[in-house]
Amino acid sequence: MSKMKTIPPSCPEPEFGRRYWRSLDQLAETPEFGEWVEREFPAGASEWTDPVSRRNFVKIMSASFLLAGLGFAGSGCRRPEERIMPFGRQPEHYTHGVVEYYATAMPTRSGAIPLVVTSNEGRPTKVEGNATHPDSNGGTDRYAQASILNLYDPDRAQRFTMGGNNASRAAALDFLTDISRRAQGNGGQGLCFLIERSSSPSRYRLQRLITEQFPQARWFVHEPVDLDVHRRAASAAFGAPLKPVFRYDAAKVILSLDCDFIGAEEDAHNNIRRFTQGRRLDQPKDTMNRLYAVESLMSLTGSNAEHRLRVAPSAVVQVAAALASQIGQAAGVPGLQNLGLPAGVDPKWISECAKDLQAHRGESLVVAGQRQPLAVHLLAHAINAALGNLGRTVVLHQAADLREGGIVDLARALEAGEVETLVILNGNPVYTAPADLDWARTQRRAKSVVRLGYYEDETFPVCDWHLPAAHYLESWGDAQTSDGTLVPVQPLIAPLFGGVTELEVLARIAGANATSPYETVRETFAKVAGGGDVEAAWRKFLHDGFLANTAAQPVNAQLDAAAISKALAGIQASAPGKERLDVVFHRDYSLDDGRYGNNGWLQELPDPITKITWDNVVLISRRTAGELGVQNSDVVEIKIGERAVRGPIWVQPGMADFTLGLALGYGRETGGRVAHKVGFNAYAVRTANTQNIATGAALRRVGGNYTIATTQDHWSMQGRPIIREANLEQYREHPDFARLTNMHEPPGGMRSLYPNPLDAVAPQALHQWGMSIDLNACVGCSACVLACQSENNIPIVGKDQVRRGREMHWLRIDRYYTGEPAQRNRLDVYKDDSKQQFEEWIDEPQMVTQPMLCQHCELAPCESVCPVNATVHDHEGLNLMVYNRCVGTRYCSNNCPYKVRRFNYFDYNKRPLDKLYLGPLAKRPIEELNLVEMIKNPDVTVRMRGVMEKCTFCIQRIEQAKISRKVKARDSGDVTVPDGTFTTACAQACPAGAIVFGNIANPDSRVAKLKQNQRDYAVLEFLLTKPRLTYLAKVRNPNPAMPDYREWPLSLREYERTMGNPFEAHGNSHDAGHAPQKGAH
Amino acid sequence: MSAIFPKWTNRLPILIITGFFMIGTAVVAGVWYYFTPKYTVVGYQPLQPVAFSHATHVDQLGMDCRYCHDGVERSWFSNIPSSSTCMNCHNQVLPNDDRLALVRESAQSGRPIPWVQIHKLPDFAYFNHAVHVNRGISCVECHGPVHKMEEVYHATPLSMAFCLDCHRDPAAKLRPLDKITDLDWRAESPEQQRAFGLKALHDWKVESLENCGACHR
Repeated sequence: MSKMKTIPPSCPEPEFGRRYWRSLDQLAETPEFGEWVEREFPAGASEWTDPVSRRNFVKIMSASFLLAGLGFAGSGCRRPEERIMPFGRQPEHYTHGVVEYYATAMPTRSGAIPLVVTSNEGRPTKVEGNATHPDSNGGTDRYAQASILNLYDPDRAQRFTMGGNNASRAAALDFLTDISRRAQGNGGQGLCFLIERSSSPSRYRLQRLITEQFPQARWFVHEPVDLDVHRRAASAAFGAPLKPVFRYDAAKVILSLDCDFIGAEEDAHNNIRRFTQGRRLDQPKDTMNRLYAVESLMSLTGSNAEHRLRVAPSAVVQVAAALASQIGQAAGVPGLQNLGLPAGVDPKWISECAKDLQAHRGESLVVAGQRQPLAVHLLAHAINAALGNLGRTVVLHQAADLREGGIVDLARALEAGEVETLVILNGNPVYTAPADLDWARTQRRAKSVVRLGYYEDETFPVCDWHLPAAHYLESWGDAQTSDGTLVPVQPLIAPLFGGVTELEVLARIAGANATSPYETVRETFAKVAGGGDVEAAWRKFLHDGFLANTAAQPVNAQLDAAAISKALAGIQASAPGKERLDVVFHRDYSLDDGRYGNNGWLQELPDPITKITWDNVVLISRRTAGELGVQNSDVVEIKIGERAVRGPIWVQPGMADFTLGLALGYGRETGGRVAHKVGFNAYAVRTANTQNIATGAALRRVGGNYTIATTQDHWSMQGRPIIREANLEQYREHPDFARLTNMHEPPGGMRSLYPNPLDAVAPQALHQWGMSIDLNACVGCSACVLACQSENNIPIVGKDQVRRGREMHWLRIDRYYTGEPAQRNRLDVYKDDSKQQFEEWIDEPQMVTQPMLCQHCELAPCESVCPVNATVHDHEGLNLMVYNRCVGTRYCSNNCPYKVRRFNYFDYNKRPLDKLYLGPLAKRPIEELNLVEMIKNPDVTVRMRGVMEKCTFCIQRIEQAKISRKVKARDSGDVTVPDGTFTTACAQACPAGAIVFGNIANPDSRVAKLKQNQRDYAVLEFLLTKPRLTYLAKVRNPNPAMPDYREWPLSLREYERTMGNPFEAHGNSHDAGHAPQKGAH
Repeated sequence: MSAIFPKWTNRLPILIITGFFMIGTAVVAGVWYYFTPKYTVVGYQPLQPVAFSHATHVDQLGMDCRYCHDGVERSWFSNIPSSSTCMNCHNQVLPNDDRLALVRESAQSGRPIPWVQIHKLPDFAYFNHAVHVNRGISCVECHGPVHKMEEVYHATPLSMAFCLDCHRDPAAKLRPLDKITDLDWRAESPEQQRAFGLKALHDWKVESLENCGACHR
């Protein structure tokens, strides 16, 4: 043994905190090194005065250092010496390597999402919903899943500044105390706050405290996407401060008036959960809800609707009024006059829809969208009242009576010189304020501006003091979920860059005794929790992540008919045309209002409808595009009043005619390195009066083409039964319709020529993993895509690589449009969007979505072609990917019929995305890499260039569950993981509960039972791949009385055209092999 | 003309081929021997910042492994004890010994002792301590006779082949759960070991996985 003994250098002092250099590059850039270089080469010394060329020289030098280092490695040290640093003093309840979970919540505009966040050695790494919360199933939305990336954003504001120069934290906080002192002198004269919406009781308390002490202080709220209209509408309709909660689960018939409650409305994940609850079908006799949508954009809600009426956004009010007058008259609600229908709307659509609603009194629901004016909301409330839905599907909660002004009021105060000190808490008004306010100039009229901001962005240069904001995972706070339950916001990590929270700023200005947010929240909690043992209650509160029995109680209210008829009096119907287009400014499915602009995961998340990444586009209908002579990716200029903006055209199937859709949140000038100059800035043409809908816009082609990176440029399933669907009546008649629509079998029947080795080992295995996805529940929201990205260390690749089809998402959502076959040429189906954008069938398409991930085929085509056995099967039916064996031939991807394998063309983790082609010559800055490392899941290998990867069914979670079970079992044989102990990241995140994962060897498991459902089918089953992932076919529930009723879903019609009628063929000779294959798995 | 190439050059091709063959063999043999963990890893015995003797603590004093390595039954990682753990005894035993100066200082200040890591698996191998020690595999199987070591050294190669040797025949190594940290324990005879191993394999449903996904994710 002693022959190997190596004597390490004498023990150094332990290092703490940040190391001074992490690479030779960094060492080489120290000034000492620079001096050394100059001394060494005095003759060329003048050359080094130019910093650019000197840096280049240093780079070359460092590369040669690296080579020298390799030489040393061969001769000297055998392996790098690594140190283990155990604690000096052991903290209680901590075991290294054991993952910890903390309950917290992500605050949203009007509520919060209760969360359980995973902490690995003190780093938060994964966000999941808190399933124990009384109003949650553990699902989350896209933003919550991606929010963790913002925590590790290298572009975050990291310093306190005054006038753009670094200032100390103490000086900044002293300034807040100064504000407080001055306000005490003059009662808050000239003190204005510009805040965002929040449900935090602590913030509300501090606001009240400030108002009490400084009665002259004024509050203004600015939300670029204003979701508060629901509260305002309910308060106006019922004459009391109320906010509505919509119970989609209690509704049998739902009508959406431009309300994208599945996608862009607040609390969408809860809406999805409730909506899909009414669509679960275990057996043919079950009932399901029916959704009518009236909308202008093609939204997630419209795409999930049975009946969809596309009208211009300014015409939605006419449709609402027509419905209200019909339903209201019958119910005796006065004052609802009909405004006439917009051109092209079939009156039968309205009357039959109204009849259906009337037939479901008390179990129907009409909702109006956030973009629509107050009048539409009031009409919706009137209809709900007439239908007896109040208290059943529309529940009213008491709301705070807020008397804050808006940003327009603040602008007026600023212009009048009434603002001494402006305190801006979060938000980015220079970027998001209405364009006509010219905010950058207006804000300067305040004597001093203090801003708490997450980025040094557009607003940063016009602030005097700038304080870095803490992320919610670094903050103490509280919030109320939409049902009113109190939830804690507790930090998982100390502020990475010393950020402060809104509560601390307010507490300091209020001059409160306790300024730490922890104490503020604790104090609020003590008041809510009441008497008793507050400490014990507080601990339980933090442990559970909510305070039980604090949900708001429903209140009864009477509709104020006078208020409604008053609001409707001045409504003028307007019709858009070719010369005067309607423009919809909509919340982006990825970037929200721009707050997630610097979030790479969200930038690269394909839009659930358009599948476009890294851009916003000008959405337009086929007909309008044709009349205006534009087509996909043409650059156009949109002029609204005097303001104009340029962007690329995208012909969107199902768009209303003469309507343009512009997503907010893009076109940033100083939004960070990810957000920089992505897309165009729709705020530039959005004024105070046209916050959501503008009319009278003109569009003209300016020439030039713009490259758009979309992940799915084909729109059609080409008549193949990839997604199978039927109408409810068909399902009841043919419960096995999913199997009846199988493709033709290969000659010789469904038999493999070769024995499958899995068949021999499977009986001895403890588990057989399988998954089931209910397409009836999947609405296409894409939360699963981001959950997978976060769990599995999936990198982003940038727009250029997406354009080349190299995106890395293990799980994608496929979106298909289906059209009336009569309108289509048989060969049309093979066209991609560059051709299909001109075809008539896309005007009224049906849309279907399907999560597509590795199917874990029992007879996997990828495995048989791998020359190095890098993808193999295990005994529990998983298709494994062994990264350290993979040599990157990509044969497997070529042979995969589902196209779910992803190849690392570059070292996406190590290189800056704009310099991928420089290979090892391009390095990411070290501060970026340090942060990138922190977000990684330590249980999943970070893949390098040249390696294939794909969905693993979250093998790290499977192994962890098995190990935990075995550790518990010790010397007993009780080692089978019970059903429901764990699930995959996608299934966990799904708000609809559409994805179910588990052990199919256990016949009592949920997944095994779902696979016995008659709607169960495998995609491309005729290839005999025997996927472990099967789908439950979709069922639509259209109303036969509607004018747009289709006896068959359009995809089934397309299938019929290529394959024949599946229901007639049943039992015919060519179909003999179609007998339902029970137990195909 | 013929003088240009002397006669011995006729043997050149065969010499070259033989030479290549010999050099090739030597390189392969060299890599085979010198580049494997059996050579590169076994016996690695760095000097530690504190001269801690497992032999004194375990063999002489009879301490259990899990007094210090208390996370081993719960975590994938078997922790190095914190300095405060050492001080539980050493504030009574040898409280002023010079050799313990660093430990005292560390427990006082909270600054860690920088122990040199000896056993290290590659990042793509996900080994889990808890599942092994809870299911009949003793520390000694991988770490060797640590209780006899004055200074810890790397006793086994910890290569993939080493792991698989055991995973292919776990019956040879399984032992009763109360003997896991009894590093001297041996079954009375190889036959008894096998008998016990096979019984445990069956009763405990020991999987002893050999598929890639068990360790590589």
